[in-house]
Formats: sequence, C-alpha cells, structure tokens
Amino acid sequence: MEQARVHVGDVVMLAADPDGTGATPFRVVGAYEPTPDPMKFTAKRIEARLHLPDLIALTDPQSPEAVSVLNVALVDLQDADAFTLTLTARMPGLAVRPTARPRDGRDPFGVLERFHWAIAIVTVVGSTAFLLALMVMRAEERREVIGILRLMGIPGRSILVEVLLEGLLIALAGAVFGLLVAKAAEGVVNRFFQWRYDTALVFVRVTLPIAWQSVAFAVPLGVIAGLVASWTLLRRDVVSLVRR
Amino acid sequence: MTSQALAWRTLTANPARGLLAVAGVAVIGALLFDMLMLSSGLLVSFRDLLDTAGYDVRVVATDGLPVLRVPIPHATALAADLSRQPEVQEVAVFRLDRVLMTMSGRWPEGVTLISVSEGAERHTWRITRGENLITGEGALERRPLVVSDRLATALSLTPGSIVRVRPTMSGVASAIPEMEFHVVGVAEFEFSMADDLTAATTRDGFEQVRAGRAPGNKDEADAVLVASRPALGSEAAVTAINRLRPDLRAYSNEQLVAQFNQNGFSYFRQISFVLSSITLGFAFLLVATLLTVSVNQRLSEMAALRALGFSRRRIAATLLWESAWLVGVGGLLALPLGGLLALELDRILRAMPGLPERLHFFVFEPRAVVRYLALLTVTGLGAAAYPVWVAARLPIAATLRREIVS
Repeated sequence: MEQARVHVGDVVMLAADPDGTGATPFRVVGAYEPTPDPMKFTAKRIEARLHLPDLIALTDPQSPEAVSVLNVALVDLQDADAFTLTLTARMPGLAVRPTARPRDGRDPFGVLERFHWAIAIVTVVGSTAFLLALMVMRAEERREVIGILRLMGIPGRSILVEVLLEGLLIALAGAVFGLLVAKAAEGVVNRFFQWRYDTALVFVRVTLPIAWQSVAFAVPLGVIAGLVASWTLLRRDVVSLVRR
Repeated sequence: MTSQALAWRTLTANPARGLLAVAGVAVIGALLFDMLMLSSGLLVSFRDLLDTAGYDVRVVATDGLPVLRVPIPHATALAADLSRQPEVQEVAVFRLDRVLMTMSGRWPEGVTLISVSEGAERHTWRITRGENLITGEGALERRPLVVSDRLATALSLTPGSIVRVRPTMSGVASAIPEMEFHVVGVAEFEFSMADDLTAATTRDGFEQVRAGRAPGNKDEADAVLVASRPALGSEAAVTAINRLRPDLRAYSNEQLVAQFNQNGFSYFRQISFVLSSITLGFAFLLVATLLTVSVNQRLSEMAALRALGFSRRRIAATLLWESAWLVGVGGLLALPLGGLLALELDRILRAMPGLPERLHFFVFEPRAVVRYLALLTVTGLGAAAYPVWVAARLPIAATLRREIVS
C-alpha cells in the first residue's frame, strides 16, 4: 500500500494484461501482512487478495474451474512421497511437490544449513588454535606452582584432576556466557533483518538443541585444550619446572 | 638488536605458542578473506555471466527480471524495428518453453527448450560433440536438437539419437501428440541451470512444439537481446528502445545487476557483512588477548630492558613487531587457505536449486585482497594497542622490586 500509495477506501483498477485491457475497478477494504515466506523474503511483494470469483473473472473467465495451485492435506503425512508418485503417474505434466523439506537436503535451506555448518566448523578450528595457544601460555605461567606442588609430594595425577576440574568449570562458564551472548544477539540480528527486508520472518533462533550442540562442542574442547597444555608440563622433570 | 629481531626471538622462544597463534590467525583470516570474496562474488559472477553473453540490453514484456514468463508478441517485427535503431548493433530473439522429452523405454524428463535467432547460437551454447543446428531446407522435416551434457547423460543421448518432445501444460494433463526430434549435437549452455536439463532447436522446431500447446500464438519471444553500439553504450540503446516501444521494458546489464544486488543478492551481502564483522572482532580479541597475556608474563623482562636503557618507543615497536609477525604470517597463510576454503564453500552453495551453472558465490578479485590486507593491518595495530600501552606505562623500579620480592 505504501509503494502504490493506496489507502483503505480507494478504488483501484486491476487488469490481467500489462496494457490494461479489461481493467476492472476494485475498492480497497483493508490491509494485511503477507504470510512470511522464506523463499520470497528478498522480493518486494506487491500483492492484493480478491474473492475467487472476482479473480477468475479478471484473469480467465473462460475457465472458471482452472486454478494455479491446489493444496492437499493427507490423512497420514508419511504417505506424501507415495501420493506424489501416484499423482505424477496418473497426470503427467502436473507438478506435484510435498511441502516437507526433501530428505536429500537439496532444497535452499538444506544448502544454507550445510554452508552455516561449514562456517561453524572453520570458526571452531580457528578458535581451538587460539585456545590452545592461550592454554599453553597459562600452563607456562603456572609452571613454578606446579613444580612446587610436585616437590611437596602431590602426585601428578592429582594435579591433572585439578587441572581437569578447573578446565571443566571455565569451559562451562564460557559456554554459558557464549549462550547468553547468542541469546542477546538473537534479538538484535532478527530485528535488523526484519527491518532490512520488511518481513516478520525469524532469521535466528537459539533453540535448546542448538544450545546443547554448542555446549557439547565447547566444553570438551576447552577441557581437552587445558589438559593438553598441562600435560606437557606434568611430563617435565620437577627440577626444570622450578627453574633450578 | 633491533625491535624486529627482538620480537622474532620472543616468538621463537616458545614455538608452540607462536605456531598455534599463527594457525589461529590463518584460519580466522581465511574465513575473513572468504567473506570479503562473498560480499561481491555473486554480483561479479552475475555481471560476468551477462557480459560474456555478448548482449548488453534485455527487452522483456513486463517489469522484473527477463526470466519472468510473459511473452512479447510479433517478435520478428520488433527485432527488425530494433535493428534499425542507430544505437543498436545486433538483435537476437530468445524463446523458451518447458517440454517433456522421452526416449523409448524411459521415463519422460522435464526439459527447458530454447530457440535463439540465427547468429546468436555462438553466444548461447558451445558444441562439444556432433554439429550445430542446421537451418533452411531439410531442417523442418528433421527437427534438429542440440542437447546439454546433463540431458545427454540423463537420456543417454548421442548425436543421431531420436527423442520425442511434447509441450507441458500448466496444471492439466496433456494429450498433445509428441513430435520427433533428431539430436545433432551436445553442447555447453551459457545460461543453463545447474539442476536443469536444457535443449535448443531451430525456430521452426520450437514453434511446432509451442503450436501444440497454444495454437495461433506464433512469433512470440520471451526476451529480445540487444547488443548496443560500443561508441554509444547500453544506456543510449535502452533510451532508444523505451522511446520506440514504451509498452516494453528494456534493461541494460548494469540495471539488471543493480536489481539483482537489491533483491536476490542482498541476503548473502548481509551475511558476509555480519560474518566479516564477527571474524574481525574475533581476530582482534584473540590477538589482543594473546599479546596482553604475553606482556603480563614478561613485565619484569620489559622493566629490565627499560632499566638497561631501552626506550618506551623501542619496547612499543617490539610489541608491534610481535603483533605484525603473528598477524602478518598468519594473514599471508590465510590467502591460499582461504582460496581452498572458498572452493569448498562455493561447492556447497552452488548446490542451491535454480542457479545458472556458471554462477559462483566466491570470486577472487584483487580488490578483495586489498580490503583483506587493510582490515588485517588495522586489526593487528588495534590488537597491539593495549599491550603497548601497558608496556609503555610500566613503572621500572616498582616492577623490578615486585619481581624480586615475589
């Protein structure tokens, strides 16, 4: 309505032909928010809804029974593939598609999901390298403390357990902090893209499975990085640890 | 010893730490480089796709991209009118339809059948096997067909094969009789979709198929492609066409790219902007943390160097060099790594249905390398700022005393 500068109560002329042949007057009785469609969110949707008889009269009065699309609700959703095959075989030329996402992941969202996974894996690899570098530095910082603990007779295994627990706590705290940041960013990202594309679509949603996936990645990674860094110290001679 | 050499020695004193930091910068840098390539790659690739076709203006019946299926009537007359314009060098009529193609004993395949006016074939496909379409005497009876590699594989076609073609009817079962076509060649099509089967025939063959679906609708075109005279340019041709036929829509390649940039490409541009920003912030935080922790561990060493006569500037230069080594070496390694990563990410995204085969998301451009190096330099300098500030403000006597007492 904004783009065409149309208001409720205005009378507009609609025609099926670009040259305006057979234009028919229609009165605008209301405005609506189009159902968000992820396949069309970048397109400027200039749409109008009419009563079906009015639409048929406008577009194809000779074929009152012709429709562009038929939506079919099956009794059992599992029958979608079988129904598609049967209907395609009976009516060749008819495009029959289940609304569920194809299992082979060849739809645009399957492709985007794989792309985001690849980005996530690269980010995890890069951050693991940084994490290891930081842990090596941290272990180096505690070299003398570990040396003194070992001189006091505390076995290397106990020190390793301590490092493990400490790493676990830090990794858990980091993972929870990361989730809080993601949750806070969720609103910002959604509001930005909803404003940018003038849509009610939700672009980012931090769901429980995603949160669990992140924790399942981050916590073992943090613990292992801490253990690897400390392991190199524990294998060293006690005297070299206290720099004597 | 120079600041550069001192920074190098500091880094190599703990090779594991240095290597891990460089590896981290390389991986994050590769991601940043890829995001910069993505930020304009699709657009560059789309422009390249349009430009290599040899035509710089597209004429269609309605607003929007020319793929929208609204035919232009009386296409031959229109092409003749356009050819007479002084701004126009060459005109080609492009026709497109969906058909069902069958070989005996095989399930029918949905195929995009195209036809271009004579002379435009060289811009539309390249024969890889067999021969090109023949016109004139004999072509009408033989109904020649050039098929894409994918279609040839799908239906096991070779030059000499005979296929049966029937137009598809939207929404209804079709009882239109099939027509036999003779495959004369296999070709690579410039605009074919990665998941689509494509074939081309002569105008006569095409109109015979279309007549089966819509008798009477002869001489319709889906788009008319125009090559403007180089001296006058595409904008002049667009103006001339709009003046001649105000009922049609003419778009220059630049206008199409601008539309694509506004609609189809904007999501990837936003994603690349968001990911570039996050990657940069990430690289900044991590390098800054590494350097800050490193400086904190070496406070006494720096105080000792200051006591020995090292100036604040020299200490700062040493830290800047440390940052430069980490970010520089990692950043340079990121370029080939980013190239390899881009190949894989491009392969993933090109699996998107409905994309032209030749369209790429990640396109190498010197501009992307310059932007990448500039961003990385700023990140390296920014990451070194805080540790340099800490080291420069270090109280020499108090730090040395604290070290001895501890």
